Amino acid sequence: MGFLVTTLIFVVTGIIASLCARICCNMGPSTNLLHLTLIITATVCCWMMWAIVYLAQMKPLIVPILSEGE
Amino acid sequence: MGEARGGCCPPMDLFRSESMQLVQLIIPVEASHLTVSYIGDLGLIQFKDLNAEKSPFQRTYAAQIKKSGEMARKLRFFREQMDKAGVSPPKKSVTRTDIDKDDLEVKLGELEAELVEMNVNNEKLQRTYNELVEYKIVLEKASGFFCSALSSATAQQREMESQHSGEESLNTPLMKDQEADSSKQVKLGFLTGLVPKEKSLAFERIIFRATRGNVFIRQAAVDEPVIDPVSGEKTEKNVFVVFYSGERAKTKILKICEAFGANRYPFSEDLGKQAQMMTEVSGRLSEMKTTIDAGLFQRNNLLQTISDQFEQWNSLVRKEKSIYHILNMLSLDVTKKCLVAEGWSPVFATKQIQDALQRASFDSNSQVGTIFQVLHARESPPTYFCTNKFTSAFQEIVDAYGVARYQEANPGVYTIITFPFLFAVMFGDWGHGLCLLLATLFFIIREKKLSGQKLGDITEMTFGGRYVIMMMALFSIYTGLIYNEFFSVPFELFGLSAYACRDLSCRDATTDGLIKVRPTYPFGVDPVWHGTRSELPFLNSLKMKMSILLGVAQMNLGIILSYFNAAYFGNSLNIWFQFIPQMIFLNALFGYLSLLIIVKWCTGSQADLYHVMIYMFLSPTDELGENQLFPGQKTVQLVLLLLALVSVPWMLLPKPFLLKKQHENRHQGQSYRPIESTDESLQLEVNRDSHDHEEFEFSEVFVHQMIHTIEFVLGAVSNTASYLRLWALSLAHSELSSVFYEKVLLLAWGFNNVIILIVGFIIFVFATVGVLLVMETLSAFLHALRLHWVEFQNKFYEGDGYKFIPFSFALIDDEDE
Repeated sequence: MGFLVTTLIFVVTGIIASLCARICCNMGPSTNLLHLTLIITATVCCWMMWAIVYLAQMKPLIVPILSEGE
Repeated sequence: MGEARGGCCPPMDLFRSESMQLVQLIIPVEASHLTVSYIGDLGLIQFKDLNAEKSPFQRTYAAQIKKSGEMARKLRFFREQMDKAGVSPPKKSVTRTDIDKDDLEVKLGELEAELVEMNVNNEKLQRTYNELVEYKIVLEKASGFFCSALSSATAQQREMESQHSGEESLNTPLMKDQEADSSKQVKLGFLTGLVPKEKSLAFERIIFRATRGNVFIRQAAVDEPVIDPVSGEKTEKNVFVVFYSGERAKTKILKICEAFGANRYPFSEDLGKQAQMMTEVSGRLSEMKTTIDAGLFQRNNLLQTISDQFEQWNSLVRKEKSIYHILNMLSLDVTKKCLVAEGWSPVFATKQIQDALQRASFDSNSQVGTIFQVLHARESPPTYFCTNKFTSAFQEIVDAYGVARYQEANPGVYTIITFPFLFAVMFGDWGHGLCLLLATLFFIIREKKLSGQKLGDITEMTFGGRYVIMMMALFSIYTGLIYNEFFSVPFELFGLSAYACRDLSCRDATTDGLIKVRPTYPFGVDPVWHGTRSELPFLNSLKMKMSILLGVAQMNLGIILSYFNAAYFGNSLNIWFQFIPQMIFLNALFGYLSLLIIVKWCTGSQADLYHVMIYMFLSPTDELGENQLFPGQKTVQLVLLLLALVSVPWMLLPKPFLLKKQHENRHQGQSYRPIESTDESLQLEVNRDSHDHEEFEFSEVFVHQMIHTIEFVLGAVSNTASYLRLWALSLAHSELSSVFYEKVLLLAWGFNNVIILIVGFIIFVFATVGVLLVMETLSAFLHALRLHWVEFQNKFYEGDGYKFIPFSFALIDDEDE
């Protein structure tokens, strides 16, 4: 799975989550906006974390060197 | 200021505090009590004290407050008595009988008098009873003295008769003397009683000295401590018998007894009389016992009836007191027919308040209704966020730093996500995350039950933050999956590792390392890294860069929020001379660094980023050589450096001068503006006046701006460095958990012995819970807190507002006296 595909998965998850929040707890426009903001922030945070780790391993400068005795 | 701007989307909950209004209520006196009571039920108005200059005694309802205070005192007295008697009030009073406060006052008075009388009687009875008990002990012990003395005396007499050469030994009992000297007709008197044990030696010595040795004292310890009738406390005592001769000695001894708190009891030498007294005392004792028991029973019954209604009375009295307290804050109209109240209330509550006012005036049969009108406020309104049980704990985290200024952007909205997220970056282990989640789910599931109970300090705090902990646990599970750690053990959950040996023999895996044969591990850190020699260099580099990236992102969010604030309050100065240069400065330096990090990862370049960043300042015109990451880098760096340099004076200089100009313009314009006739503009004028007439001190504004600029420029560096704590704590956490796993659990496993394994497992569990789940949680919590309070919030948050504290019975019931 490439970088873009997983990113797309994150986007889709975010959209599904916001749709769920919109449908399940529809409590007026201002509360919905709060829910949307929370979901977007959470998705962006999670995506950033994943993307950082993924990018760091894409072109490794250091390779794993097994320790002795294993 | 209150109306929503923008209009593209609805105002977000929690992002701005509720818009407030200053309302004035003109309440007819006869309806005032009920009105305030209904408003207290509603709990949406914060009353202003209109009599601030008056002392509590000068206020209108001081007498009523005193009365309620008296009632509260009586209730406290009942509570004390109930606690002493071990009667606990029922959690929820079964019957909610309506009771008037005047009736209650009378009833409380009666009950108190009854209880006090019972207590007095009981005390008297108890005292007599204790005296009797002491008397009984004296009778027993003293008759013991006399019996033994008598028997030894007769024995000695017999001996003397046989020998006639009796040497006076110290043990010679007195009875003998008495009998021997009976011819002299000197009658020896004696006193018996009880003296506290610790004083007994001194007592004996003093009597001895006072009578020059002409006494004989005998003491015997009472086995069990007795209750002193005077003090009512349990004390160790000695029974004493003092023999003396002469009236003067007697008065002396009596005085000494008094001084030592020794209780004296009459005693008779005659055996028959002794027995008679004994039976009499015993009879009276048992009689007394039944009387006391009956009294106690009656008292407990009374307390039980009190306790049934105690809670109801208590809340009623508290309500009364708070109502009069509020009424005291209102000013009395000149006609003395109505009270004028002023207070803050949220705009959305207008309808509810008006309804409550109407109901109150209807219920109290008032002829005129309460007048409700909105005033124009000069000072800044209080800050009120409508939080629910989920968001309140997060809002408290923000409020602990400072309550938001009225309607400024609330960091609480983002804190709900970013706080647990940054926590989880430091606490990434999905095993530990699951433990934390289970613990907090326990609280959440039993939420209803626990919220009514009194909990300990620490449990209370954990319970209050249960949703914060839940979010922290959820994010830790996520970051744990990213870090690929389950109690420090990696799992191949998302496919095969990307690395493999160079050849089949795998000979150089421990020297040159593995090579990448498959596409990058799709989710999180490749499991192969765990336990390798290059694990630490790799993870350090990764986590350090991650901290910088996350930090720069969060700081940018903070600066963007400052834009929202400036736009909301219509402050274009702040947008042009604060937001834009700040954005440029931060991103020209650290945004660029983040970009370099990403470019380096994507290209796999060997460039040294430290070198690039340092020489960007030291010699920006030099060729980058092998450290070049992309073509044209030198030009980009030069431009960025120039932008960063320009943005510093941009932040510093224009704003104070423009402020000065604005102030002057406004001042001039004001003096020549024609007076407009409409009411509306006049009020606006008044409103604005209060702001403008503050003296404009240019030097002060300039110094303030200078401080702000320096703070930002230095802060950009130090705050970015501060985010490295994410790396440090996350490293510490993973190292600690791997130490516990390898050095405790695996070591114990290696012994192939069940007992060692069990012991090792227990140690592992305790270390994991104590160190990783409790202490590490606390430290990661504190560091996440700091990152939010300092690094994030100082970009935009003023935090100099004050909280909206409505007059509400629900809040009064919560606080315990």
